[in-house]
Amino acid sequence: MMSMHTIKVTVNGAAETLSVPSHMTLLQMLRDRLALTGTKNGCSAGECGACTVLMNGEPVNSCMVLAVEADGAEVLTVEGLADDGHLTALQQAFVDHNAVQCGFCTPGMLISAHALLHRNPHPSGDDVKEALTGNLCRCTGYLRIVEAVQDAAEKGGA
Amino acid sequence: MLARPGLPSFDYVRAAAFNEALRLLGEHPEARPFMGGTDLFVRMRDGFLQPPIVVDVKGLPGMQDISYDSESGLTVGAAATMNAVAESPEVWAHYPLLAEAAASVATYQLRNRATLGGNLCNGSPAADTAPATLVLEGRMVLHGPGGRREVPAEKFFLGPGKTAIQPGELMVAARLPPPRAGSAGRYLKLGRNKAGDLSIVGVAVLGFPDETAPSGYRFRIALASVAPVPLRAAEAEAALASDMPGEETFASAAEMAMEAASPIDDVRASAAYRKAMVRALTLRGLRDVWAQLASQEDG
Amino acid sequence: MPQRKEAHSVERSTSEPVGKSVRRADAYDKVTGIATYTDDLQFGPGLYHARLVRSPHAHALIKRIDTSKALQVPGVKAVVTGKDAPEIVGMYLVDRPVLAGERVRYVGDPVAGVIATSEEIAEQAVQLVRVEYEPLPAVLDTEDALAPGAPLLHPNLGEYKVANFIFPEPGTNISEHFKLRRGDVDSAWPQCAAIVEGTFRLPQIQHVPLETHVSVALWEASEQVTLWTSTQSPHAQRDLIAQSLNIPHGNLRVVSPYVGGGFGGKAGVTMEACAVVLARAVTGHPVKLRMTREEEFVGTTMRQSLLARTKIGCDAEGNLLAMETAYYFGGGAYNDYGVNIARAAGYSCTGPYNIPNVKGDSYSVYTNLPIGGPMRGFGMPEIHWGIEQIMDQLAEKIGMSPAEFRRRNCVKSNDTILTGMKIPPIDLVTCIDKVADAVRLGEKEQPSAPHKRRGKGLAIMWKAPAMPPNPGSSAIVRFNEDATVIVEIGAQELGQGAFTVAAQMAAHALGVPYEWVRVVSPIDTKYSPYEWQTVASRVTWSMGNAVKAAAEDARRQILEIVGAYWGQDPSDLDIKGGKVISYKTEEEQPLQNMVIYGLPNENFEGWQGGPVIGRGSFMPTYVTNLDFDTGQGPRAVVHYTVGAQAVDLEIDTETGQVDILKIASAYDVGKAINPDLVMAQIEGGAVHGISSAFESLRFDEKGQPLNRNLVDYRIATAVDVPGEIGGYFVETPLEDGPWGARGVGEHVMVPTAPAIANAIYNAIGVRFSDLPLSAERIYLALNP
Repeated sequence: MMSMHTIKVTVNGAAETLSVPSHMTLLQMLRDRLALTGTKNGCSAGECGACTVLMNGEPVNSCMVLAVEADGAEVLTVEGLADDGHLTALQQAFVDHNAVQCGFCTPGMLISAHALLHRNPHPSGDDVKEALTGNLCRCTGYLRIVEAVQDAAEKGGA
Repeated sequence: MLARPGLPSFDYVRAAAFNEALRLLGEHPEARPFMGGTDLFVRMRDGFLQPPIVVDVKGLPGMQDISYDSESGLTVGAAATMNAVAESPEVWAHYPLLAEAAASVATYQLRNRATLGGNLCNGSPAADTAPATLVLEGRMVLHGPGGRREVPAEKFFLGPGKTAIQPGELMVAARLPPPRAGSAGRYLKLGRNKAGDLSIVGVAVLGFPDETAPSGYRFRIALASVAPVPLRAAEAEAALASDMPGEETFASAAEMAMEAASPIDDVRASAAYRKAMVRALTLRGLRDVWAQLASQEDG
Repeated sequence: MPQRKEAHSVERSTSEPVGKSVRRADAYDKVTGIATYTDDLQFGPGLYHARLVRSPHAHALIKRIDTSKALQVPGVKAVVTGKDAPEIVGMYLVDRPVLAGERVRYVGDPVAGVIATSEEIAEQAVQLVRVEYEPLPAVLDTEDALAPGAPLLHPNLGEYKVANFIFPEPGTNISEHFKLRRGDVDSAWPQCAAIVEGTFRLPQIQHVPLETHVSVALWEASEQVTLWTSTQSPHAQRDLIAQSLNIPHGNLRVVSPYVGGGFGGKAGVTMEACAVVLARAVTGHPVKLRMTREEEFVGTTMRQSLLARTKIGCDAEGNLLAMETAYYFGGGAYNDYGVNIARAAGYSCTGPYNIPNVKGDSYSVYTNLPIGGPMRGFGMPEIHWGIEQIMDQLAEKIGMSPAEFRRRNCVKSNDTILTGMKIPPIDLVTCIDKVADAVRLGEKEQPSAPHKRRGKGLAIMWKAPAMPPNPGSSAIVRFNEDATVIVEIGAQELGQGAFTVAAQMAAHALGVPYEWVRVVSPIDTKYSPYEWQTVASRVTWSMGNAVKAAAEDARRQILEIVGAYWGQDPSDLDIKGGKVISYKTEEEQPLQNMVIYGLPNENFEGWQGGPVIGRGSFMPTYVTNLDFDTGQGPRAVVHYTVGAQAVDLEIDTETGQVDILKIASAYDVGKAINPDLVMAQIEGGAVHGISSAFESLRFDEKGQPLNRNLVDYRIATAVDVPGEIGGYFVETPLEDGPWGARGVGEHVMVPTAPAIANAIYNAIGVRFSDLPLSAERIYLALNP
């Protein structure tokens, strides 16, 4: 039986080979093995969205995915958004709209919004709100986040 | 006991074939099959389950497939995610009610992991896809040591957390017969928030023209979260088949649906409120479906 | 080299930034994932992890703890119990054992800590610690705790160290009793044309910061102790832990990087002292203690519950004449910080009104429930829930509009308020006008469907920073060679924008562009100048004064140096855009280099000046204690911020669901240092306020928490946001505020719940005296 697994996963474009225990989550792998601490642990139960990453292009709660399941997958975290320090339109919109306060929800929000804009380049305000239901924020009241996402959409970016 | 910070340890195997999966599950009485994990992991953290081995079955042949043909209807692999179901062109074209139900589950991220099979197999009376599966006359396809068998939805849910799945069996697909001509449906869900919550009450209403019914229409109504199992409101359905469709009949049917429910008080809602909401949502569902049916006839 | 597009781009240059909506200083780091929070800090392979053994009983004696099996688990390094760590800790009342000693007082009370090489191993070992309890009768209700003969949760209450303005009643479960006596209520009642009485109940609720509490502590063999932690109060934590654990202050260092949400829950000392005593058991190894989300709901701090009995009367013209009120705050198992909430509710017990006759009693009461601590509003949301509903009812009784009733009776500049002090100038009337106009209060508007009911409601508020009389702030302003500025403060960035406004204020006072200024992070008691705490909506005001003073100090030094250099009077010089300029001769001297190296004399015959360091400090010196029997005194508080909110909502009568169409908020902030950040607080506060009206922690009859995760403790999500959030601010300068500024971070959620309650009454004629609201309660009230 298998309690340790060697996996090959591409994270933010970089190929990684890791040996992970069965019960390690993708979140733990990213934070503890790859020191990619941008993705946050808010609840470990799939409820808060602070751990949202893209796995094969789809947003998932990384606390609810086993690291071993990421074998052969492509994972994108918040650290993989900006291109050599250049913020994406979405990140810049968050900055411009002051859609960031404590910042703890921000990485997950950006990933969820990034995925939304890829599948729906011109979302309405309601579309954005629905897509972000799985990303809790206690500071901003969400308004500016929604505005920032729509602003980025208008600028044709994600 | 407070939930632990992480998962307990276990062995993980990605099964490559059905007989391997069944063998592993058969060898270890406490082994668990695993697809999306959205329920399994929560229970493991909460200390309710500590399986020594978890068998990943979502990659088994056909488990994620969604296919339709006009003869046999829809086949949805048990490991199809809620988003896959909600966004499937086949499901939208022929069973929009199922798509609506799948889309109402949790959040977008969780719907990329939660599976139709998991939602049904957990046997939670609150499962959002159960009412749709009931009114669409779904059948669960189970695979066990003895081969494949099918269990109709109305015989599948046996109690809170209990289904007709026998030890050693896996659900591999849900099958829906071809839809009745002209059918229209609606899934209404009430949670504590506007979205993302478990259901306090869930009501699926399906209606279609049927000349064998005195009223000219048949309606099917199924309820979630208001009884030990998701269930059909048989008395209400009978009344809708015989009485002229309209506000009075719908109101009366909604009352009967309410009578069919036997909810409990829990941390999410009281029994009294749930009962009243069965009536409210059933009435809304009937009006909505009726409006859809009427517009189909006009158009 | 590609150009970096960042929030702090030096391509931008904002002069005189106070009053301007400059971009946040921390936004770039937070959108790229660079921003570091405590759990992100890397400690290497020597890091140990701790998990706590917690009581399953609400009240019990601890008979025996058997740690032997836990110690045998490979990877376990130590197990610490209350016997090993008998210390007690507390903010205003030192009543809380770091680890339970002879008894446990709530479900979740930490009894022991296990330290191991991984969190998982620590958790396994926690399950193997055997504790023998002798259950005691649990007191789960405030009224039960007050009843004669109730079990005493703190029999030694009389022996606890306590601040000299807090008055526990030993031999009872009352940890604080504040009395306010003004005028003579008994003779005033007969003169009232209308009297309304009400009993109001609010449950405990939780802050739900996205980042749970987390600390890493390292106790070195040299007795140097370092605590890395997510906290609003690095210096206060250092002080309290040093005192409790007998660590010389200079040996204890608290480091706090960005905080992922505080809302008061990370003020004072919560689980941080625990991390330190655990680290003491494994000297030389850092030990991380991180709360799971479930522990956050149970084992950190909560907002107190409240039972309020309030009676208010007015004359036929609508002038308020008398108020009698008793506030019983359910403080939970330990009230070390909560006692000050009862006190603050006491000296502000009338709400923002002129009432000549007042009898107020405010109590903090022990119960066997999770610890009550500071939460956004600090007693004000709780007491305004009842007050604002009674005011609406009085207005209705005498036939006055809710807005007019408030305008007539609300406090105005320099009024003598209930404690006998004069309130510094504020303009609550304009706040009322703005929100009433924004929702067209009083104008009945059609609901969007026949089965819906539409209603509008108003509530007003006040709050003073609730602090000891001598809370200080300090700051340092210094330079890099390129004249970019380093500002050192002890105030924390919780998301409210403290670092941004600090940079704005320093830049403005100095005369350099905002983009040249960086605030040092993390806050580190080894390097950061003293700040009492980042609480009470005080830092824009207090830290701001210190930063302004420090920047002005630096500015003065620079002008003296350059003045001497040019042979001019410094009063003819100024600093603008990072250059010293002379109004007399129009000479210019850039700050670059001179702020470090000084200026050379002609022919390099000597030099003038040298490194410039500005220092500033601020502490209010005018706050007085209050009379024990009457609550009267020359100056109870530093100042008040006032405000109003109005809500326009619809109720679906078929389900009871509430839809907030519009919420309008107005606050008198004195001076909006960064208007957009004030708006951001207004928006966030409105949503937090709305959410809080529907939240509650639930317990069973044994005190077991029933909804201790995000599945069953629902907070507002993106789809719960109101259709429109309007925000307005009024700027009546605060005399001792930097540019007149006053805080607003908490005020923005104080009146929300009663505004909603008043709107619900307006819509369906049903009054809710108890929180939480819910669709269910509204439906069942409409359909009894």
